[in-house]
Amino acid sequence: MRDSSIAALFGVFSSLLLLPVQADSSRPYINDKKAPDSRHDLEVIQKHLSEALPASRRATVCIDLGEGSGSGVVVSPDGLILTAAHVTGGVGKEFTVIFEDGRKVKAESLGLVASCDCAMARITEEGTWPFVEVDRDDTIQLGDWVYALGHSGGFDKERGVVVRLGRLVQVKDETVQSDCSLIGGDSGGPLFDLNGKLIGIHSRVDRSLQENLHVPMRAFTKNWDGMLKGEFIGEGPFAKKPEKGKGFLGIGTEAREEGGLSIEKVGRESPAEKAGLKPGDILLKFDGVELETKEQLQELLKEKAPDDRVALELLRKGKQETLTLRLGER
Amino acid sequence: MIAGLAPGSQTLESTYRTNGPAVKACFEPVREVLQASSAVIKSGRKEIAYGTVMSADGFIVTKASEIEDAADLSVIVAERTYKDPVVLGIDPAWDVALLKIQAEALVPVNLALDSPDPERGTWVVANGATSRTRRRPQVGIISATAREIAPAGGAVLGVTLEESDEQLRVSETHESSGAKEAGIEPGDIILAADGVEVTNRQALGEVIDKHRVGEMVHISLKRGDEKLELEVRLAGRVDLFGEEQSRNDQMSGRFSGRRSGFPRVIQHDIIANNAGMGGPLLDLDGRCLGMNIARANRCETFAIPAGDLQSLTDRLITQVTK
Repeated sequence: MRDSSIAALFGVFSSLLLLPVQADSSRPYINDKKAPDSRHDLEVIQKHLSEALPASRRATVCIDLGEGSGSGVVVSPDGLILTAAHVTGGVGKEFTVIFEDGRKVKAESLGLVASCDCAMARITEEGTWPFVEVDRDDTIQLGDWVYALGHSGGFDKERGVVVRLGRLVQVKDETVQSDCSLIGGDSGGPLFDLNGKLIGIHSRVDRSLQENLHVPMRAFTKNWDGMLKGEFIGEGPFAKKPEKGKGFLGIGTEAREEGGLSIEKVGRESPAEKAGLKPGDILLKFDGVELETKEQLQELLKEKAPDDRVALELLRKGKQETLTLRLGER
Repeated sequence: MIAGLAPGSQTLESTYRTNGPAVKACFEPVREVLQASSAVIKSGRKEIAYGTVMSADGFIVTKASEIEDAADLSVIVAERTYKDPVVLGIDPAWDVALLKIQAEALVPVNLALDSPDPERGTWVVANGATSRTRRRPQVGIISATAREIAPAGGAVLGVTLEESDEQLRVSETHESSGAKEAGIEPGDIILAADGVEVTNRQALGEVIDKHRVGEMVHISLKRGDEKLELEVRLAGRVDLFGEEQSRNDQMSGRFSGRRSGFPRVIQHDIIANNAGMGGPLLDLDGRCLGMNIARANRCETFAIPAGDLQSLTDRLITQVTK
């Protein structure tokens, strides 16, 4: 199932590359002026904002992690989301995303780049989603007028998405700085150019109000395919790689003479309980391997990390069932 | 690459940043409106708030909680300093104070009364750092949808209560609370609120939740054998008891002490601090969209919309001239 959805996303990626350049996506002249110097210049900035904002707002989501929240932005009609690695925190995490109109849908994280705070996620429900265009040609320049969107401080339906205006004040390979003020909850949210093209993802702030840092799109495009495949790329401060051997299932078993393990206990709130395992179920296979002893199951679990998916084959009331679940952290 | 960069540098010179001098120069016509129609409110030598000029003869509105406890007030409008402004009235729900200075021929703000709420992305201009003679602008845009800001923690009387034998007994009244002002004392038994009989906290809470901060609740109580009828002003829980700083607060600099419990605000992204409230919020035409009322955090600043500002000012003026 997983493989087929990745293939589908690849399809979207290629078709996005082929999207014709829109007529109005030429570089606004105001970006090439040191500073606006007439009322007309200011009105041009205002006009760009009012034209681009509705679509940008529709595609900007709140990522509700239960404990705290971040933001993200949809970049394809089938629900591919770009956000920050420190928001998703890992590969294969499940969470809820909330659109500005209050619509809630389920999503899960794909890959990430731990060294520069890039991450992808996708909406797992069927549907066609509002999305924005990514600036794949890496057209940003120092001094460009930009605007930041996000669900600052968490989702607030009455308030809606919060927009801030600024300029790019520093441009580096894997980080750009703007004077759009960011705050907690904006992490993972989108930074746009005046045409409404996605140019960055909010990453972090420093104490000074000037220091609002974003990950530029080039860091995403460079790692696009790996992230789509669900890879954990690089090492760094923004996400911790799950450790092998820390995978947690949450069952107590006894070996049966006729093969398989009889489930005696299911831990409260454990991944096993959440997946619906019950005492009395017989565990026949773990990831396709037939089980005969408790030690065998322990050895298999040692090779797993938190958030890994495992396939279990069960015997329940005489009927064989297969289910997959995601391990927790021990 | 645009001109104006130091060679080899990838950092924009500060003059070209959104609130740099080169960009702000473009807002000179709006700055002139600030020069004429905004006020600087000082306590001694310290600037503690800005004000919005509402009439030619010297009615000025500002943020009440920033000036309430200040001594030795003076007001600057344009280049002139006015000593001994009089605080004529306060609207606690909006946290607005009405001041009067002895002046004539001031230029009041031109309130944008006929317009709908300004859309996200609309340029706005407010008071930035000031000198004795010159107002400076700070610029930004409208950021979010106009709305009510509920009081953080809800509205409260300012009493600690004990429930015993189906009775609601006051064990403590808190400093500067409406309860204390109204004369509620420890030992009083609360019988009814707004005419509704209350015998436990929940019932009282249900009555209070129908009100906003700053509104009055009618409390009937028993003190010994005596029955008393009192009007008690509600305070915001957070205003009365303070709040713990969140992580977002820690990155927000000096934000307003009173930043919630407003019937309606428009929101923008102009950077300010707690002493930067009370002045007008202007659009590119110099029309007044509202009055800045709270710096909420690092990225959110609130203003009272023009229509509400007009009606609450009229109400305050009527009260003092009656």
